[in-house]
Amino acid sequence: MNYSKLTTQSSELTTHRSLKLLFGLLILALPAMLPAHDIITTPVTWDREISRIFYSRCVACHREGGAAFSLTEYRETFPWRTAIKEEILERRMPPWGAVKGFGDFRNDQALTPEQLELVTSWSQGGSPEGEAKDLPAKDKLDEMIKESAWYGPPVHADHLPGELVATGDFKLTKPFVLDGLFPRNVPDDSSAQIIAELPDGRVEPLLWLDQYKQKFAHVFLLRTPLDLPAGTVISGIPAGASMALLPPPKE
Amino acid sequence: MRAALLFFILTLVAAAQTPAPLPSQNAGDVYICPMDPDVRSNNPGKCARCGMALVAGLPDPVEYHLDLSIAPRPIKPGQPASLTFAVHDPWKNRTVTNFQLVHEKLFHMFVVSQDLDVFVHNHPTLGSDGNFHYDYVFPKAGMYRVLGDFYPDGATPQLIAKTLIVPGQAPKPVALARDYSPKDAENLQVELVTEPQQPISGAKTQLMFQVKPGDGLEKYLGAWGHMLVASADLIDMIHEHPFIADGGPQIQFNVIFPRAKAYRVWVQFQRKGVVNTAHFDIPVKELGK
Repeated sequence: MNYSKLTTQSSELTTHRSLKLLFGLLILALPAMLPAHDIITTPVTWDREISRIFYSRCVACHREGGAAFSLTEYRETFPWRTAIKEEILERRMPPWGAVKGFGDFRNDQALTPEQLELVTSWSQGGSPEGEAKDLPAKDKLDEMIKESAWYGPPVHADHLPGELVATGDFKLTKPFVLDGLFPRNVPDDSSAQIIAELPDGRVEPLLWLDQYKQKFAHVFLLRTPLDLPAGTVISGIPAGASMALLPPPKE
Repeated sequence: MRAALLFFILTLVAAAQTPAPLPSQNAGDVYICPMDPDVRSNNPGKCARCGMALVAGLPDPVEYHLDLSIAPRPIKPGQPASLTFAVHDPWKNRTVTNFQLVHEKLFHMFVVSQDLDVFVHNHPTLGSDGNFHYDYVFPKAGMYRVLGDFYPDGATPQLIAKTLIVPGQAPKPVALARDYSPKDAENLQVELVTEPQQPISGAKTQLMFQVKPGDGLEKYLGAWGHMLVASADLIDMIHEHPFIADGGPQIQFNVIFPRAKAYRVWVQFQRKGVVNTAHFDIPVKELGK
């Protein structure tokens, strides 16, 4: 028996099988390779615009050691680009849980229309990285994280200092300076417009809950405290839920 | 051998996951349209879409504060009310008094009622107190969303929604059905075709308008048209300008409808000195549903 010939035949066979394997794997890998053909149609880049938006609105949770998977780097964010676009357009993320512009909050974490447009443009337009020189300074990251509504331990306190607990149509029996609101037991994904009807006939929009989820519970802190006279009725609180009315913190 | 082949393929896949940068996107200064931030150039000039001057290296997008006060209170339907818009910076809450022109005006205001029946696009004027003022008669009770569109010096353009509630019996919630029917406006007729015919949330929709007669069209506030898009629940409010327009009778806007909801779009075109306003209702669906 000519072992050398057999070895050659075996080698040719192996090569032939390997080529078949190569083509097979290439076909299998083709869908994953399609992003290579993403045409970059946007000038918006991760390094310039998107990283800044993510640092200020997302990475308080989406970071190493945070509550969710990390989105601090381009390589971490790129695979999620389509899901991110859908989540932000649906207002599921960031999980602020309220409609922007109904009430005015100093810890507002909802994306602005401009931020929505930039992230959408980046996601749709090939999600380019840009140049590292455009990245924000790393020392800004900690500063931005601390400004997040979700920085620190979650707020699940049964009682917050000085709070009034409102349920149903709640009438104030004495004047109250409203500095913030904390919803409790609001059914997930419910929508509710909480308003204050003042005795002189004014109606103040306080908070429009939308896609609120208890697991992302947080306080809504008014940008300017609101003087509510006795007789004011707080209404719009969903059945079975309550709303903690928070006074300004004591000096 | 197989391991080497697998490594080769995985390397190919990994390379494929990282797109190549746009060749010119970081070459020197980038000039950006403050109104349409996706319009950029490596050279100074004007935005091809809205005509605004491109500016070099826009500052970081920072949200300013817009305070809206109204007098007298409570607001009464059918009675004059004075609206005051005060803009404050987000750092020290200082009153901002210097603004850039946006489409020939310092401040654009949109007002939409909760039943989508009321639509106003007008321009509060800057007073000596540094605030913008506008007198308006709210025609009915209910919730109104007020959209302020302005551009503080040294910042980025701002589009900020506020909410006013006029006490009284609020109108019933509106259910929008598809309405692409041609609309007769002040001195022209407006027709709409969309591509795709059934708009999908999160994906680009082309809104192609045809106006008749097609002569005498003029720019209105520096653009060949203006569009306000509002979801029926008034959560989404988007201000757009034409993507393609040349003064002819066909005007194309591109919109990404954020959610699978019904939307009303108001369009404004100027012909022979007259501003025409028309609206269409567009139900938007989720992909595959």
